[in-house]
Amino acid sequence: MISQEKALLVGDNPFHGISHLSQERSRIRGDMPTSPEYAAKLVAIAVENGANGFMFSVSQTTLSILKILNENSVVEHLDLYGIVPYAYEYVRAASQKGGVPGLAKTVAKEILFSGNFGAVVSGLNGVLRAKPISLMKAYLAYEISRIKAAAGKNARLSCVLLHQLVTDVCLGFNLDWLFRAYMDFMLDKGIKPGFNTGNFAFLVDKFKEWRINLEDVVIAAPFNKVGFQMVPSREECEKALASLPKPNVLAISILAAGYLTPKEAADYIAGLQNIKGAAVGVSKEKHAYETFKLLREKLL
Amino acid sequence: MSAEKLKVAVVGFGKTGMLHAGILSVLPRVQLVAVCEKSGLVRRFLKNLFKDVFVVDDVGELKDFGLDAVYVTTPIASHFAIVKGVYDLGVASNVFVEKPLASNYYEAEELCGLARRLGGVNMVGYMRRFSVTFKKAKELLNHGVIGEPASFSAYAYSSDFFGIDKNSKFHTPKVGVLRDLGCHAIDLALWFFGDFKVKNAKIDSLFGEDSEDSAFFEVETDDGVGGKFDVSWCVDGYRMPEVGFTVEGSRGVMRVNDDALELSLNGGGKFRWFRHDLKDSVCFWLGAPEYYREDECFVKSLVDGKNVEPNFFSSAKVDLMIDEVKAKAKNK
Repeated sequence: MISQEKALLVGDNPFHGISHLSQERSRIRGDMPTSPEYAAKLVAIAVENGANGFMFSVSQTTLSILKILNENSVVEHLDLYGIVPYAYEYVRAASQKGGVPGLAKTVAKEILFSGNFGAVVSGLNGVLRAKPISLMKAYLAYEISRIKAAAGKNARLSCVLLHQLVTDVCLGFNLDWLFRAYMDFMLDKGIKPGFNTGNFAFLVDKFKEWRINLEDVVIAAPFNKVGFQMVPSREECEKALASLPKPNVLAISILAAGYLTPKEAADYIAGLQNIKGAAVGVSKEKHAYETFKLLREKLL
Repeated sequence: MSAEKLKVAVVGFGKTGMLHAGILSVLPRVQLVAVCEKSGLVRRFLKNLFKDVFVVDDVGELKDFGLDAVYVTTPIASHFAIVKGVYDLGVASNVFVEKPLASNYYEAEELCGLARRLGGVNMVGYMRRFSVTFKKAKELLNHGVIGEPASFSAYAYSSDFFGIDKNSKFHTPKVGVLRDLGCHAIDLALWFFGDFKVKNAKIDSLFGEDSEDSAFFEVETDDGVGGKFDVSWCVDGYRMPEVGFTVEGSRGVMRVNDDALELSLNGGGKFRWFRHDLKDSVCFWLGAPEYYREDECFVKSLVDGKNVEPNFFSSAKVDLMIDEVKAKAKNK
C-alpha cells in the first residue's frame, strides 16, 4: 500500500516552464517540457524508477497530462496530489479581466457551464448569500470533478492541497473556521486535506493554537539544506517538523530550485523526521531516471 | 508612538490589497481595523469573512476608526482622489500608496503638497527597493565596485498580455504599461543613478489606439550617464513580471534582476549571487519577501516617527519621468 511508504512525487513546475532559481535560466535553456505528451513520458519514467505519486496545480496543462497518463495506464500506479487553485492562472486572468470582480464572474461562468450540479447549487448559494464556505465548496467540487474527469475512474486522488497563496492569506487573517470547513469537506469526500505553505513553522504553531488535528492533514512546504524559502529560518522549520505527531509533511523545493544536487537534497531530507515524502520536478528523461532512482534508494 | 497596536485600514481589496492586509495582520505592532472596498460583491464576502475587521464602501467612513495609517491599494487611476480624500477628510496622516503615486505628475505634486502641509509618514510601494538583489546592487554601486557608471540599460517585462487574441474580451490597464510596470525600472534607476532627463522615446500600442503596451526610451543622468529603457507586457517567457539592469562602469559590468546579481570586473573577477546567497528570509512569506520588508519598514517608520524611502517626494519623480517619456513619444 503506497500510503504506508514514503511518497515520492513528481512535481509539475517544469511542466509549466517554472524555474524558481531564475526565470532567465528557464528562458535560456528553453528546455522546459511544456508539451503534455513529453511531460507524461517523464512521469512514466519516474514511476518506473520509484515515483509513486504526482503533485500538480490544476490547470489545462496538467489535466492534459493526467488524460495521457490515464490513456497509458500509468495513472493507476500513482497517488494524485492536486493543488488548487492554480494561482498564477487566476492572477493573470484578474489582470486581464479587470481585477477580482472580473475574475469572480469568469470563475462563476466556468462552474456554471461545468455541468457539476452540486457545485452549481453550492455556488449559487454562496453568491446569493455571500457565504465564503458555500463558494469554497462549489469551487472545490468543480476542481475535483475536473481532476477526476481527466484522470479517469482508476485514478486515486489522495490529497487536495490549498495553494500556498490561499493557505498563507488565510493564515494571515486567522481564518481557522475556513481551514476547518475545508478539512471537513475534503474528509467527507474521502480525500486527505492538504496545505501548501511558505510559512511552515507559522502554520504548525497556528494549527496547534486552533487545536486543528495535525494528523488529519498533509502539509507541503520547502525543506532543503540551504534553507531556501524556509521561513522564518531552516532551524525554526526543522523544530516545527520535529514537533509533529506523525510524518505528514511533503518536502518541496528540496533542490532549492536547482541550487543543490539531487544527492545533497536526498541526504538532507533522509535525515529529517516526520517527512512523509518529497516532490521533485524533472525536465529531462535522464533527470527522471536518475533523480527518482536516487530518491528511492535514499528515502524508501 | 505608544506601545499600543497601530490601527491601519486598507482601501481597495484586490490582489495587492489582500497581500498587504495579510502581511499587516501578522505584524506584531499592527491591528487591521477596516477595509474599504468599492465592489459590492467583494464587500459582502469580506463582511462574512472577517469577524474583527470593519468593511466599508467609502473612504469618509474610515474617519470614525481613529486610524494611525491607511494603505491605498486601489487601481492607479483612483490613487489621487483617494489619497486626497484621506488627507482632506482627516482619515489619517500616515499614508502608504501602492506604486505609482499618481496618474500624472500634476496629481503627484498636489499629493506631495498635501503631505508636506499635513505631515505624517508617507510611502509608495516600490517594493523592488526591498528585494535582496537590487539592495545588493545599490550597495555595490555606492561602494564603487564597478567604478564610475558610464551607461546602463534597463528592462521591465511581463507576459501578462503575451499571446492574447486582440479581438478577445480583456482589458489592458488604462494607465498603460509605463505606469503599471515600467515605473519599477524608472524608480530603481533614480535610486541607483539620481535624476535624469528623457532624450527620446517611442511608445507602441498593440491592442488599439488607447492601449499603451510597450515603450522604449533613452535618458541621460545629471552626471552624464546614458541609459536605455525597454518596457513591455507582451514579452514571451516572463511568467512573473521581471525588472533588470545592465550597468557598465569604469571597472566592470554589473547585471541585476529580480532573481540574481552578476559582476564581471575588468581584472577578470566574476561573481554571482542568487537570492539564496543574499539572506532572503523574512518572518512571514506572502507574495514575495520584499512585500514583508516593505510593510515592516513602513510600520517601523510610523513607530519611530521618521520618514522613509521611497516616499511621495522621491516617487513623484517617477511620475514626472513617465510624463516626459509620454510627451517625447507624442512629439515624435
